[in-house]
Amino acid sequence: MKFLINPSKFNEIADYIFKPVLILSMLLFALGLLFSFYLSPNDYQQGSTVRIMYVHVPSAWLALLTFAIMTLYSIIALAFRIPFGFIFNTAVAPIGAVFTLICIISGSLWGKPMWGTWWVWDARLTSVAILFIIYLIIIFMNLSFENRIVREKVVAIFILVGSVNLPIVKFSVDWWNTLHQPATISKLSKPSIDPSMMTPLIIMTFAFMMIGIAIAILRIKTEIISRKSNLS
Amino acid sequence: MILVKDLSIERSDKKIFENINLSLGSGKIILLKGKNGSGKTTLLKAILNLIEPSSGAIYWKGKLLKKHLYDFFNHVTFIADKTSSLSKLSVHENINIWKKIFSSKISNSQIENILQTLKLDTFVNQKVNSLSFGETKKLELLRLIIENKKIWILDEPLSNLDDETIDVIGQTFEDHRSKEGSIIYSSHQESEINVSEEVIL
Amino acid sequence: MIILNKIISFYYREYKLNLSGFQDILTNIIFFFVSIFIFIFSIGPDKEKISVLGVGIVWTLLLLSSTLSLRKFYQDDFDNGNLLIMHLNGFSFGFIAILKTFSHFLFVQVPFLISIPIACVLLNISNDKLIYLFFSFVVGSFILSCLGSISSSMNLMNQRNFLLGSVIVMIFSVPIIIFSIGIINMEENFNSLISILFGILLIVFAINPWASGLCLKLSIENN
Repeated sequence: MKFLINPSKFNEIADYIFKPVLILSMLLFALGLLFSFYLSPNDYQQGSTVRIMYVHVPSAWLALLTFAIMTLYSIIALAFRIPFGFIFNTAVAPIGAVFTLICIISGSLWGKPMWGTWWVWDARLTSVAILFIIYLIIIFMNLSFENRIVREKVVAIFILVGSVNLPIVKFSVDWWNTLHQPATISKLSKPSIDPSMMTPLIIMTFAFMMIGIAIAILRIKTEIISRKSNLS
Repeated sequence: MILVKDLSIERSDKKIFENINLSLGSGKIILLKGKNGSGKTTLLKAILNLIEPSSGAIYWKGKLLKKHLYDFFNHVTFIADKTSSLSKLSVHENINIWKKIFSSKISNSQIENILQTLKLDTFVNQKVNSLSFGETKKLELLRLIIENKKIWILDEPLSNLDDETIDVIGQTFEDHRSKEGSIIYSSHQESEINVSEEVIL
Repeated sequence: MIILNKIISFYYREYKLNLSGFQDILTNIIFFFVSIFIFIFSIGPDKEKISVLGVGIVWTLLLLSSTLSLRKFYQDDFDNGNLLIMHLNGFSFGFIAILKTFSHFLFVQVPFLISIPIACVLLNISNDKLIYLFFSFVVGSFILSCLGSISSSMNLMNQRNFLLGSVIVMIFSVPIIIFSIGIINMEENFNSLISILFGILLIVFAINPWASGLCLKLSIENN
């Protein structure tokens, strides 16, 4: 597991797994799109629009997951002085921002036929929008500091402070009465979703995850190289 | 009192200096000499525990300085290459604030004397931002007297000053040395101050 | 005793500093009133509408005008090396952050309290609501001070993009706005909402010395 914290080990592993991951993500995308368009039933209430779910839910999960991993890496980097965490944070923030943006856009496309508006000010939507702005601030911070040592640590601190938002996003549907439907899939109880819809959702989630990992590998490798060239 | 042992410092993997050894006893004046960017300020900051050295250690009275930081700070005056006086207030108010902050027991007549020798007495009620560059520097050095601590760590105290003032400062250093104080200061210019050790970075 | 003396002298210095720059604080208050005028001009002088929107307007403008003063939070002391002098005088960086936060609250936010009754008269807010607004502002403005401390210490080394600090404060003050407005609109719920606000205050107050102290240390080390 050392490749998760060591840049040179990471480079070795990344060279091995990059192509398989990319091919796997393509296959999963093809399979997932096939499933979600042709092999899954219409919802009895929402009709065909339910298929937006297969993009919306995976991107939302991954947006949260990316931020959670960034928080974890910030803790590791700050507490144990492992610089790979900083590399990870700089590289991965734009990916998380894009996932959040996909989630927001697909959600508002879904909301128009279902709720009648593109945007509602309810807790779930607002907190996701704040998550998006936090991602943007991280990216801007990475762009605007001149001193690298200060920049990466300040960004890590900001991520830690900003991670307060994560539980708010996750539990906003349970804590407040919102228009947004509550979570359909949870570990503790039986999922309230039909298996025929569950399969494409899971496949799409893995497809999103794989493409995310592939892009992350590319970005982390560039970040490592740019740091090395800065030093010498 | 301060012992610097095999200190080397890297910043973003670039070596600034390597294996510096220093020992600052009482009654000693150490001059750090070197070109711009040779790491004089960095060394002074490392002594103040503001920069983590990549190897080596600094000892204070035989113990690790890191562990007894605030005890060390009680005996140190540090004057950076900046003007720490508040530019919106007058010279007099600045001196008052410093006297309160450092809970100094120095008397008003003593300060007036020093102001006269530094030729600052005519500016006492003027705001600091109307003073010239050299005059703010002199005001800055007044903190040495007000704080009245044993170890003086000075970053470029002689820049922008005329020969007369440098003589006064040399005299002050000599006084401090005779009171068993110790001084470490950096400079890139020649001066006639009597130093007991020169370190070239 | 020595530490108490040092703290008193710290506040003496802050007092002198803020007294000489008092016109800055007054400018903040003037900014607040001018923006109220602009709001009223843009909504229209309809009494009913103004009294509905009034509380929200006051809170938004208080937030905006307190972010205006953030630039002075640490930057001046950082630039002229006074933060380092305070540290050498025996304060840890976290403690400096706490002292500075209190000083910001005392010298920048408390003068704003005077402007709230006047704003309430201008915006047609009833007297019983004024008390709730006052309460929520006292607690909320301290939270804003803590957030301001965190964000402006993060931005010390950032020479290119100052506005980022204001954006950080505003993004984190969303929950404060939600609960403060809640206090005013639901009087029967006052106790529970102000407890939540106090809870946020305690969380932020606990994070503040850690986060700002770390940022201050970083900036001073790498300056």
